[in-house]
Amino acid sequence: MAEQRKVEYRQLEAGYQFPPSGCRVDAATVSAYLGAVEETSHLYRDTGLVPPMAVAARVMASLSEHISFPAGAIHVSQELEFINTVSTTDVLTSHARVARKQDRGKLCLLTIDLNVFNRAKKKVLAGKTSFILPGTG
Amino acid sequence: MIDLSEIQEGMNLPEIKKVVRQENINRYAEASKDFNPIHIDADYARQTPLGGTVAHGMLILAYLSQMMTAAFGESWVTGGKLNVRFKAPARPGDTITASGKIRRVEKSGDRNLVNCEVLCKNQNEETVITGEAIVGVKDNENSG
Repeated sequence: MAEQRKVEYRQLEAGYQFPPSGCRVDAATVSAYLGAVEETSHLYRDTGLVPPMAVAARVMASLSEHISFPAGAIHVSQELEFINTVSTTDVLTSHARVARKQDRGKLCLLTIDLNVFNRAKKKVLAGKTSFILPGTG
Repeated sequence: MIDLSEIQEGMNLPEIKKVVRQENINRYAEASKDFNPIHIDADYARQTPLGGTVAHGMLILAYLSQMMTAAFGESWVTGGKLNVRFKAPARPGDTITASGKIRRVEKSGDRNLVNCEVLCKNQNEETVITGEAIVGVKDNENSG
């Protein structure tokens, strides 16, 4: 797979739109996820349903493929809305946009809006994620 | 799963307790494709201010989602909302308790919007995650 070109977080500004990112959360990934978090709900056993937090995790990882975060970046808050179910055969596209970048002396607060759609262009997940990073001023 | 007729303000949700293990963190890294060395490389992590590996915040958040799934089933998966702050890292060996309390229930059309205060604490009673979760439960769901 080609290496994604990462954007240095200092270059980001409010309104910056990351390139859309395609992904799937297939049955093997769901199985690995369920094992990792020790989730035993019958909802996910042989149903093809993807746990929404597995979708969120995958989307967050896609985001980190686009941004170059320094050591010491802290994930401080997370909003998530589970809108429609996702199955292991769905092809998803996630869209991310810088909602806010605020320098506060030695620190910088970066907030990114996330929206995930299925192939039918139905929104399946929305969210907002915030990080504290070394200041860019 | 909680029966709709049982839902009332002030009610505690059934807790979930999990021991954070490095093995689980490694598996989570594989599943999420998040291979940040602070989570999986002990040598690297030892030399950072954290002094050792820590779990992905999203892994610990998954425990809260799991608690909500156990309480509200499909209603959570198709209409849940989380808004949380990560307050402290969770480390291998920590025991995390995910808990929640129903703050209020509001009628909205054919749904009941259940607003919960949610929390993850470690074995030392330190808050790891705090925030709120909202789930819409239809009148004919979570009943009987």
